Amino acid sequence: MDDRTAGAAGGPPEWLAQMLDVPPLDVRPMLAVGDDPLLAILHAADEIPFGGALVVDAPFNPSPLRRILAARGFSSYGRNLGPGHWRVFFHRNGRQDWQGDAEVEVGPEGAMTWREDDGLHIDVRKLKPPQPMMAVLRLLDSDEAGPQVVVHHDRVPQYLFPELAERGWRTARMTEEPANVRLWLEREG
Amino acid sequence: MLGGGLIMGAEDRLLPPSVPFRFFATAILMHVAGWAMLLVGADTLPGFQGGLGPGLAALHLMTLGVLSTTVLGAAFQLLPVATRRQLGPVWACRLTWWLYTPGVVLLCLGMAMQTSWAMHAGGCLVVAGLAVFAVLVARNLLQVSDLPAVTGHVWVALAALLGLAVLGLLLVADVDAGFLSRRGPFAAAHAVLAGYGFMGSLAMGFSYVLVPMFVLSQGVPDAVGRQTARLLALALVVAAGGAVAGSGVVAALGGVIGLIGIGVHLRAILAAMETRMRKRLEPFFRLVRLAWVLLPVSVVAGLAVALGDAPELTAPLWGWLLVFGWLLTFVSGILQRIIPFLVSMHSGAHGGMPVLMSRLVAQPPLTVHAVLHGVALALGAAGLLSGSALLVRAAAVSGLAGALAFAVFATLVFIRARAHSSKSR
Repeated sequence: MDDRTAGAAGGPPEWLAQMLDVPPLDVRPMLAVGDDPLLAILHAADEIPFGGALVVDAPFNPSPLRRILAARGFSSYGRNLGPGHWRVFFHRNGRQDWQGDAEVEVGPEGAMTWREDDGLHIDVRKLKPPQPMMAVLRLLDSDEAGPQVVVHHDRVPQYLFPELAERGWRTARMTEEPANVRLWLEREG
Repeated sequence: MLGGGLIMGAEDRLLPPSVPFRFFATAILMHVAGWAMLLVGADTLPGFQGGLGPGLAALHLMTLGVLSTTVLGAAFQLLPVATRRQLGPVWACRLTWWLYTPGVVLLCLGMAMQTSWAMHAGGCLVVAGLAVFAVLVARNLLQVSDLPAVTGHVWVALAALLGLAVLGLLLVADVDAGFLSRRGPFAAAHAVLAGYGFMGSLAMGFSYVLVPMFVLSQGVPDAVGRQTARLLALALVVAAGGAVAGSGVVAALGGVIGLIGIGVHLRAILAAMETRMRKRLEPFFRLVRLAWVLLPVSVVAGLAVALGDAPELTAPLWGWLLVFGWLLTFVSGILQRIIPFLVSMHSGAHGGMPVLMSRLVAQPPLTVHAVLHGVALALGAAGLLSGSALLVRAAAVSGLAGALAFAVFATLVFIRARAHSSKSR
């Protein structure tokens, strides 16, 4: 824990932490009955002020929509939550980091995991304690963890640190912002 | 959580370790003192239904000295982390200890030596310390809306604290003034509010956080936590009200409601534990499980007291099962888990590798404590039921030896933590 203030590198955009509470606009039922949801989405997007968010649930990665909204100043970040379910977070920020994606798996506690260049990521934000701790420890105890895991948390997980030490993991780095704490965990030795 | 209130930084959420650990160290010393005092007053315990002396002092060394002191330390440490809200200034947490601890010592000495001024001064200091604690906790809870299972129980505990403090001060003042026509009903209501209200409700509420965390299981649903808090509140009002009014039937009705609440609580905790990742339960759980058995058993003994069945047997047995059985067993089980856990947590708070919990814990003294504590409970219950002072004395000796073993365990934790800290510097 030697770097609490440095900016995060890799992983989802910083603004994502503020979008997790936004109720999604689920267009899958419209598509299922053959209706085109584009107008409804564009109408909803028009209502979003600068700095605001729109979250869309779709049955596929809606690339054309993302490009259309990018032209209107939205950055987007997509997560594949499972077969036939993508969740795309749109943030009206002048499309500073206009597009990113992650293939995610959802664990039994509701935590999302995905792989990036710097290792396996797990997002336990918005989970009710003790589920974040369970999800992280379940991942670390599994074979898929590898030598480094990046945890996305909405608080500094004080209770987790003794359990990490007990399992031979250390917190190599931590960045902390309101509701967005990121920890880089490394396996000892 | 953005805009939902002040979110603290990590350093703010962790109080200096000296705050919780001064309470825990005090509780461990009082644990030894309580059993020692019980040994002194063992002859008076069979048939005990109230009155000053070492028996009453021993009881309060356990309730105020061990149980409440542990609860204060745990609440100061755990509540701000769990709720993510400031508890209050550190000086106020320290002030609680400085008011409360001398108060407990004075009050218990006053009770043992039947000295009015010491009881009055001690009682006032204890209430003052608890008042500071209540204000700090209430301020914290007023900012929290997302932990209803825990906060509901803490609110019930604070309400019970108010009632038990008023009744306690009345009882102390009555020793000299003699304005209460019958002390027994007020003492019974005081015991109900203290044992099941303040300490019991906090134990149940904190269990909803601690047990899932220790066994790595799903939490208890909020709806269940709200339900148990409501049932407990109703049970306390009915039982304490019935006791004060001198109506055993009403008090017993409160006990029945309490049993229902306890049933819901234990069923929810056990259901959560079914989902646990940590399949093998740690040794401290043997005490926690024993306490869970003794909790409803103590209420059944309380029902017998309320219904007037052989009070010379049932009243001391109820007190024994409530304080030494359910509460002391539960608290000593939890304390042996949270002391090394918090020591480990604090050791990594400023960077560096935390000391391993497994390296802090010396299991042999804990096993000795568990065995001797169990023997003490059995001997004490047998002594009170048979009217044998010898058995109660033997129970006190066993309990005292167990308390010393517990103190050895705690001392070793701190010695090992200090060794780790010097090595990592």
